[in-house]
Amino acid sequence: MARSVRAIIFRRLLNAVITILLVLILNFMMFRVMPGNPIKILLPQDPNISQQYIDQQIHKYGLDQPWYVQFFTYMINTLTLQFGDSFHYKQPVMDVIWDQLTWTLILVGISSIFMVVIGMLIGIIAAWKHGGPFDTGSLAFSLFFYAMPTFWFGMMLIVIFSLQLGWFPESGQLPIGEKLSPFDWDKFVALLDHLVLPAVSLTIGSIAAFSLIMRGSLIDVMTEEYITTARAKGLTESRVLKDHAVPNAMLPMVTLIAMDIAFVVGGAFQTEIVFNYKGIGWATVDATYNKDYPYLQAAFLLIAVTVIFANLIADLTLMYLDPRVKMG
Amino acid sequence: METGSDRAAELESTPGKVGRRRLIDALRLSEPTREKLKLARKKTAEIWKIFRGNRIGMAGLGALIFFILMAVFAPQFMYVLSLVSDGAGHPWGNVYTPFKGTGDGVFKGPSWEHWMGTDQLQRDILSRTIYGSRVSLEIGLVATAVSMGLGTLIGLLSGYWGGWRDEVLMRVTDVFLVLPWLVLMIVLASLLPGGPSVSKVVFVIGITGWSSTARIVRAQVLSLKERAFVERARALGSSDYHIVRRHIFPNVFPLVFANSILTVALSILSESTLSFIALGPPPSKVVTWGNILYDAYSRNAITNGLYWWIVIPGLCIVFVVLAFTFIGYALDEIFNPKLRKR
Repeated sequence: MARSVRAIIFRRLLNAVITILLVLILNFMMFRVMPGNPIKILLPQDPNISQQYIDQQIHKYGLDQPWYVQFFTYMINTLTLQFGDSFHYKQPVMDVIWDQLTWTLILVGISSIFMVVIGMLIGIIAAWKHGGPFDTGSLAFSLFFYAMPTFWFGMMLIVIFSLQLGWFPESGQLPIGEKLSPFDWDKFVALLDHLVLPAVSLTIGSIAAFSLIMRGSLIDVMTEEYITTARAKGLTESRVLKDHAVPNAMLPMVTLIAMDIAFVVGGAFQTEIVFNYKGIGWATVDATYNKDYPYLQAAFLLIAVTVIFANLIADLTLMYLDPRVKMG
Repeated sequence: METGSDRAAELESTPGKVGRRRLIDALRLSEPTREKLKLARKKTAEIWKIFRGNRIGMAGLGALIFFILMAVFAPQFMYVLSLVSDGAGHPWGNVYTPFKGTGDGVFKGPSWEHWMGTDQLQRDILSRTIYGSRVSLEIGLVATAVSMGLGTLIGLLSGYWGGWRDEVLMRVTDVFLVLPWLVLMIVLASLLPGGPSVSKVVFVIGITGWSSTARIVRAQVLSLKERAFVERARALGSSDYHIVRRHIFPNVFPLVFANSILTVALSILSESTLSFIALGPPPSKVVTWGNILYDAYSRNAITNGLYWWIVIPGLCIVFVVLAFTFIGYALDEIFNPKLRKR
């Protein structure tokens, strides 16, 4: 038994490594091999660049080498996190990304906590009283916001809460020209002030996914025999729910939370753009305008690898929580 | 046999059905084809009967029909609206079209002449919104067809083959499954050669959206493969192609179909997002709701108080997406009987 568990964990790890490897290959293909001139992608667009400089750069990036040599160099560079200099920021890409990543993590982190907790609560209550007015109402609410483009919802929030009511600033993360510092109370308040609308936008836009799955999962669990048994033992409805149904219904949520990181990242991108919140999503879209390919490549890889790891962790957590998964 | 003749008698006794029966006879189809047609018709009628009883599904269908009519008859729609303005005593110079400037000035607020105002090129935003339904729906449908086709094919192959080929296909699927769709879309859309175009958007949405379908189809195929009727077909010496086409695909299809309705909703959302970040179809040649929102956002419609420019196209997206989602849920309930009990 113990051995088979180890074998399964090993397999999951192997799969994750393979997936990362495939992402690396995909990334290489997209940026180097895709039809179109890779030099165009790797060099800033500027008519004043001399041919000599171009040749020099081609040599520097190894574009005069056969593809397998290029691939090898690419792998080495990637594994050592050397993505070259950003065309736009004129400094190593990774330095720029770390800074922006902090902002994105703040936004996504806060929103994730809210969307998971609120989504689950809505799902639990809806499933518990399913068919009732709360269920119908929350379903309508969930579907309505699910159907809404996140960027558009953000715009609506700006119109209502910042332009009409004037409660919150409409964009940015701190007043212009100020840097983030953890021990400055005024700045902290200013940061929160700027965070409210983007966080609400991201949270409400993604709640539906969590509440709908939690609801479905709990309704499924409620039809299981052990729930009938628990009821037959004379437990109160709330005990049945709290001790027997919810813990079991939470299991699919673990996978979902990881799966939804991809979804939340998409939402975060849109939110950052609308609110001019200069995190990694805003910068990635900005990089497409500036044709800043080194940045784009690094951001893509970083996000992809993060999401793969999140999925792996969720898989392993689920295995730990639910021994039945191990067998499957 | 007896039930068969009973059924025939019943068909003869109702006049409407007799008419249809004659039509099928007149086509001189072979006996098995005729049987199949009859079965298909019966099944469709059954599904429709359940669907009709589903209020959410019917609401979605109603909304969808409205938007489809709007897309197909966009010029006529505009003409009717112009008559309304005529009636109110504010006749339009002409019936507006989405790409021609009206010569009435830029960034006008809503008025009888321009119900939703004008944009940066003096174009009538109302007409742009109505015509916008065309490409928005088109991209949603075609991109879905691409991703569903790809997903179904890979799911069928992967599930049916098994072994190392399954392994390879599933690892590739994993990549597309875990990658955040918007990130992949942004990178692809900005790297693909050639300028912005509708087909590029369709390709990008299709290529990023097939993976979950492949997973679902594969899981279904894995269980179907072990079933007795497949076993029997194999014992009779049917080819793999025949088994997949005749025995496995028909059983996977309903699932794919219900799923694809939901995918249309997602594709429409994806298109609007891509357009919003200027990676969609070219705004100078194609009008979609996403493009209108991009114009509005990049010309600061929000801070200038031109709210209609943002609110109405956005609501159009919401309602079309809701329409597809509702229909999808209703179909899901029909095709997944386990849900029906709830």
